Amino acid sequence: MSAEAPTSMETQTVASETKLESNTLPPKPKFEPLKAHEMSDGRIQFRKVSVPPHRYSPLKKYWMDIYTPIYEQMNIDIRMNLKARKVELKTRSDTPDVSNLQKCADFVQAFMLGFDVPDAIALLRLDELYVESFEIKDVKTLRGEHLSRAIGRLSGKGGKTKFAIENATKTRIVIADTKIHILGSFANIKIARDSLCSLILGSPAGKVYSKLRQVTARLAERF
Amino acid sequence: MIPSAMASSTETALESLHHIKSTEPPEWLVPKQELSQAVRAASKLLFSSLKPYCPKSPFDQLLTEGFDVEQIWQQIDLQSQPLLSSLRREVKKFEKHPEEISKLKDGGVGGGEKKKKVLEQIETDNVVNDDEDDDDMDMDEDEDDEEEEDEEGEEEEKERGTEEESENEGEEKGGIEDKFLKIKELQEYLEEDEAREFGLKKKKTKAESKKEEEDTEEEGDDDDEEDENEGSEDDDDEAEEEEDELGLFDGNDEEDEDDLENARYEDFFSRKKNKSSKEKAKSRDMLEEDSGSDDEQDVDKRKDGPSKHEKELDKLRSKIEEMEKANLDPKVWTMRGEVTAAQRQKNSALEVDLDFEHNVRPAPVITEEVTASLEDLIKTRISEGLFDDVQKARTSSSKAPREIKELDESKSKKGLAEVYEEEFVQKTDPASALLTFSDELKKEASMLFKKLCLKLDALSHFHFTPKPVVEDMSIQTNVPALAMEEIAPMAVSDAAMLAPEEVFSGKGDIKEEAELTKAERKRRRANKKRKFKAEAAKRMGKKA
Repeated sequence: MSAEAPTSMETQTVASETKLESNTLPPKPKFEPLKAHEMSDGRIQFRKVSVPPHRYSPLKKYWMDIYTPIYEQMNIDIRMNLKARKVELKTRSDTPDVSNLQKCADFVQAFMLGFDVPDAIALLRLDELYVESFEIKDVKTLRGEHLSRAIGRLSGKGGKTKFAIENATKTRIVIADTKIHILGSFANIKIARDSLCSLILGSPAGKVYSKLRQVTARLAERF
Repeated sequence: MIPSAMASSTETALESLHHIKSTEPPEWLVPKQELSQAVRAASKLLFSSLKPYCPKSPFDQLLTEGFDVEQIWQQIDLQSQPLLSSLRREVKKFEKHPEEISKLKDGGVGGGEKKKKVLEQIETDNVVNDDEDDDDMDMDEDEDDEEEEDEEGEEEEKERGTEEESENEGEEKGGIEDKFLKIKELQEYLEEDEAREFGLKKKKTKAESKKEEEDTEEEGDDDDEEDENEGSEDDDDEAEEEEDELGLFDGNDEEDEDDLENARYEDFFSRKKNKSSKEKAKSRDMLEEDSGSDDEQDVDKRKDGPSKHEKELDKLRSKIEEMEKANLDPKVWTMRGEVTAAQRQKNSALEVDLDFEHNVRPAPVITEEVTASLEDLIKTRISEGLFDDVQKARTSSSKAPREIKELDESKSKKGLAEVYEEEFVQKTDPASALLTFSDELKKEASMLFKKLCLKLDALSHFHFTPKPVVEDMSIQTNVPALAMEEIAPMAVSDAAMLAPEEVFSGKGDIKEEAELTKAERKRRRANKKRKFKAEAAKRMGKKA
C-alpha cells in the first residue's frame, strides 16, 4: 500500500499540474510517522542475547523483573531460548520505536554482564547511558599475585572502594575477574575509569578518593 | 600774696617746725592728724623758701591739700634733686679750691668756723642722703637738715648761688655747657679719676704729676687747719665714695679688681706679703674698708713694686714656661690614642669618666615600683579580659564554602536509574529536589535537639513554653546559588581589566576620516605608499 501510494500521488500531481496551468500549488502531502514495523519494510526485527552460565540462575530469579518492563513498557516481545541459552527479543506491531528494541537488548546485555536489574533499568529509561568494558591487562600487564592484589585494590575491603567510586561518579561498576564493566553517562564513565586505572596502576585508595572528591566537586558546580 | 598773711603763715610754719622737732620719735609711729598737719605746713614753708634756688621746678608752691603722701614727696623730690646735685657740685668745687670758701666769707675766723660747720653739715647731709628711705621720718629729717642748713647758711647759699650764676653766665660755651655741665670740670674730673685708678701703679709721668698734685693738695691741706685737712681728706674720700656709689661703680670695681689682682700677684708671687691688705682685698663688700685699704696700698705701692706691664710680662713668662714643660713631658694616657691596659697605671681607668657606646639596652633595674606597676597592669588586664590573643586572620573566602561531599563507601540503596532521575529532576526543577544525604542527617539531628530542648525547658523554666512549631514544609535546597539567582556574569571578559589607555596604543590626535584636512590626507597616503614600497622591496630582496 505504501509503495503504491507515492506512484499514484505522483501521477495525480502530474495530472493536476498538467491540468492546471494556474499558480496555485497542490496541497502538501501529509505523511504519518512510520511505525517500527513499517520501517523495516514490515519485517520483524530480532535481537538475541546469549546468557553466560554464571548468570543463568540470577536470570531465572529476576526473570519477571526483566520481562515486565520490556513487554509492557517497551512493547517488545521477549522469550528465553533455553536450548540455545539465549534471550530473544522481537518487535511487535505496536512497538512505537525501533530504538526500543535496541534499548531492551542493551538492558538484557547489561544484566548478563553482571549489573543489577534496577541499575540496568536506567538503560531503558535514559538514552545517554552506556556500558564500557575493559580488561585489567589493557591498563597494565599483571600476573599472578599482582593481578589478585590489583583486583583486591579495585574492590577494596568489603567493596568499599568500588562503592565509593560508584557513589561519587554516579556509575555502576562490575568487576568480573579481569574484566571491568562500567555503566553510566559518558563523563562519569570517564572519571570512574580514570580512578579505576589509577587503582590498577598501584595508587593507594586514599589518593584516589581525594582525586575523586575534587573531580566530583568540580563536576557538581559546573552548571 | 598779702605779706602779713605770708608772715603769719611763716610764723605758724616755724611753730609747726619747732613742734615737729620737739616730738619724741616713738610718737611718729602712730599716725596723728595734728602731726601730719604740722608737717605739711612746715614742708610748705621749706619748699617756698627753697624755690628761688631751683628755677627749673614746675611748682611755685607745695600743693598739700587733697594730695597724698606719695604725691607730696614727689613734688619735694622734684625740687630737691637738682638742688642737691648743684650743691654737691659746689661742695666739690670748694674741696678743690678751698680758698674760694674763704673768698665767700667776709671774716677769716668766723668764716672758718662757719665753713667748718657748713662742711660738717655737708658731711652729715651726704651721709644722710646715702640712706634712701621713703619714710616720713627721713623726709622730715632731710627737711630738718635742709632747714637748719638754710637757716644757718642761707646767706652763704645765696651768695654761692649768685656767684655760681655769675660764673656760669660768664663761662657759657656753646650749647653743651650749662649750669650743670662744665667741660673744664669734666676734664679735670676725668684726669683725677684716671690718676686715682692708676695711682697705685707707678706711671712715671702721671704718678709724678699725681704726686705733685697730691703733694700740692697735701700742702694745700697743710696750710689749712688740721681739722680741715682731715675733713677735706675725709671729704675727698667720702666724695669719692659718693661718686663711686652714685655713678662710678664700674670704676670702683675696676679699681677693686686691679687691687685684687695686684694683691694676688704681689702677695702671692712677689716678695711683698701684705696679708692684711690681702684679707681686705678679699672682702669687696665693705667699700669703706676698701677705701681704707686703698689708702694703705696707695702709701705702700707708690714707692716700690713692678709696673703693671712688667707684672703682665712676668705672668706670661710663667705661663709659657708651664706650657713648654707640659709639651716636653710625655702625654697623659688619656690624651694618647689607643691605650691598652698595660700602658696605663693600674686602676687609672676608674678615675676617668669614660664615654663609650652601649649597643645593648641596659637591663632594667627591678625596683618595687616596677614590680608593682607590672602587677597592676596584669590585674587590670585580667579584669578586663584583654589578653592580646593572636586572632586568626580570616582569609576572605571568595567562594561560598562548598559542601564537602562525603564519599559513601556503602552500596547505594538507590538504583542507578533513580540516581539519574534525581539528577535530572534537580537540573530541571531545583525546588522540588529532594534533600541530600547530609541534609537529612542534619535535619534529624536538629529535630532531636529541639525535642531535648523542649524537655529541658519544661523542667527548668517557670513559664512553660509550648512545643515549637515545626514547619512541615520548608524549602531547603542544597542548590548552588548560581542556579537560584544568577547575579554573577556567565562570562568575564578581559576587556574590563585593561584600562582604556592600555587598550588603545596610539599616539597623538586621532582624527576621523571626515575631520582630516587635505594635507593630512595626502600625508597619510604618502606614508602608506612608502610603507608598501618598503615591504615590496623587502619581499623582492627575499625572493632574490
